[in-house]
Amino acid sequence: MKLKTKLTLFNALSKLVIVTLFVLLLPSVIESINKSYTDSRLIKQRDKLLQIVKEKGIKNYIADGESYGSYLPLKEEYISLDEVEPDYFADTIYNDRRSVERDTIDYRILSHTFKAGKRNYLLEIGKSTETINDTTGPLQTIAFLILLGMILLTILADLVYSNYILAPLSRIIKTKLVGTKFPSFTTYNQVKTSTSDFRHLDLSIHRMIAQIELAFQKEREFISNASHELMTPISILQSKIENLFEQEDIADELKVRMLEMQRILNRLKSITKTLLLISQIENEQFLKEDEISLNYLLQDLYEEISIRLQDKNISYELALAQDITLINVNKFLLFNLLFNLVNNAIKYNKANGRIMITGELVKDYYQININDTGIGISEEELPYIFRRFKKIKQSLTQDSFGLGLPIVKSIAVFHNIEINVRSEKDKGSTFSIIIPARLIRS
Amino acid sequence: MNVLIIEDEKALAYELELFLSKHNYICEVCFNGTSASEKIAVNLYDFILIDLGLPDYDGLDLLKEAKKNRPEAACIILTARAEVYDRIMGLDLGADDYLPKPFSLLELQSRMQAITRRKFGLVNQTVNLDGFLVNLTDRTITYLTTSVTNITKKEFDLIAYMILHKNRTLTRAQLSEHIWGSVVNDDYDSNFIDAHIKNIRKKLSAFAPADWLETVRGLGYRIKTNV
Repeated sequence: MKLKTKLTLFNALSKLVIVTLFVLLLPSVIESINKSYTDSRLIKQRDKLLQIVKEKGIKNYIADGESYGSYLPLKEEYISLDEVEPDYFADTIYNDRRSVERDTIDYRILSHTFKAGKRNYLLEIGKSTETINDTTGPLQTIAFLILLGMILLTILADLVYSNYILAPLSRIIKTKLVGTKFPSFTTYNQVKTSTSDFRHLDLSIHRMIAQIELAFQKEREFISNASHELMTPISILQSKIENLFEQEDIADELKVRMLEMQRILNRLKSITKTLLLISQIENEQFLKEDEISLNYLLQDLYEEISIRLQDKNISYELALAQDITLINVNKFLLFNLLFNLVNNAIKYNKANGRIMITGELVKDYYQININDTGIGISEEELPYIFRRFKKIKQSLTQDSFGLGLPIVKSIAVFHNIEINVRSEKDKGSTFSIIIPARLIRS
Repeated sequence: MNVLIIEDEKALAYELELFLSKHNYICEVCFNGTSASEKIAVNLYDFILIDLGLPDYDGLDLLKEAKKNRPEAACIILTARAEVYDRIMGLDLGADDYLPKPFSLLELQSRMQAITRRKFGLVNQTVNLDGFLVNLTDRTITYLTTSVTNITKKEFDLIAYMILHKNRTLTRAQLSEHIWGSVVNDDYDSNFIDAHIKNIRKKLSAFAPADWLETVRGLGYRIKTNV
């Protein structure tokens, strides 16, 4: 799940929880607001009435010991004045029921005793609570709907804003971490953002990649320098052995031992040459300016490998649905890529086996499949076949040092060609070479 | 033929001198660019072998000097600095050939002979091997009057190489280096020279026994001829 989705979801959920809680608490909130509002009104009315009594005297309401009572036509409010026992005291507000003309109504009642002309009076002012409760239901619904609308609006706003605020993050991911040829940062292109955290992240990623790149660079340089340095002593040894062979007076027995030395030297030469080639490819020491027909390249390859096919009596079928002209490639390198793949298809094939090379245009790319009926590669070893010096079990019987497929990989990466492998143990392997449209003459 | 060997690795320079002297080249050796520059200015050479990795001199500058002062000399670049740029620059500056180290001395010799053939315009260089006429210029083999057509490019390369070094045993390593030179691969001990030789013999024996193509047991092969 994306970060902005998570943020929006959290915002929405937290708001929803808060609003739901609020709506659930609404009746009691309204009730307590109402209560305090009603109470203060009742107190005001009491004070007003006491003021009138003070100014105009109690007789204004009560004459000849009769009680006074008055209520509104709908009975939502009433007021009563009664004379009570001299020692009776009340000063409170409470809820109670009153029967008013055959109606029993819940009231909020203020009871207050006061003295007037040596007599004790009880004042009651009542306000119906029904009117109060009637409003809570609709109020709850209205509040809920309004708040829900507000939530939706704020979610939208959150989404827009988090999209805007997190845009640099996706830009960092897109430009610095995904889809770049790794590591291939030469210059630092700052991602535009006003968020300091992202700036920090961008810079940190850049620094980290720069460090990784430096490590890669050092490794490439080391391999390149080491192979160059090795070339000279190998060259000297090779010349010495060759000059020894020139001497007539050397016994055959000694010559055989020299031959052994020559073989070992060849092995060293082969490894060094291969490492040098890989480092030259990785250091982009090759030009990509050749133009060549694929069919021609494969014919050339056939000539080179036919002797190997013959040696194991392997049948070789080549079927290109269309020939294509490859452009912006290095012929020498592509030849080496194909050679190594087909050579493996021979090396790891069974005697009297088969190699089938097919090629066809698929959408805008060209796919070459090299299929063999060999020993195959086990599933657990498949991820490691392109690793340098990784000798997988099957190859232990072969005179190889685990650099054939790394050469293939380096050349493929250099040309932006994709290589896929499908293999089944004891059934054979298929290496697919995906050549992008950019390398094909349209 | 006068050869100037410019190589700062004394051991290698010595081996080059030993080998070429054996093959009747008159050699001079320089271990640095400064003395090589002086020698180029005053002496005449047919071949100048330049190592690009000299400590005191840019080998490419030396090549420029050689081309300017000794345009008649053939220049071959020998280098462990197999950078593509160097190779292109070297050939652009007029080097006649380019051999990356480590190279086989026999390969160097065959390149020098090829240059000599080119320079002196030797046409129809033909060798007769018991009735088989091998034409190294137009790469054909005929037996008496019939041409042998089924010899492949690789097979002819092998025959030509052995003719060039006739009467000398060539090891499988030397032969395979010559014919697989452009391929870098993962095999270090699998050469298919034996299979190639078997094929050559089979194809030729359809006309006549090719006894001149000898197997030297345990060592390799050679073409024996008095021609």
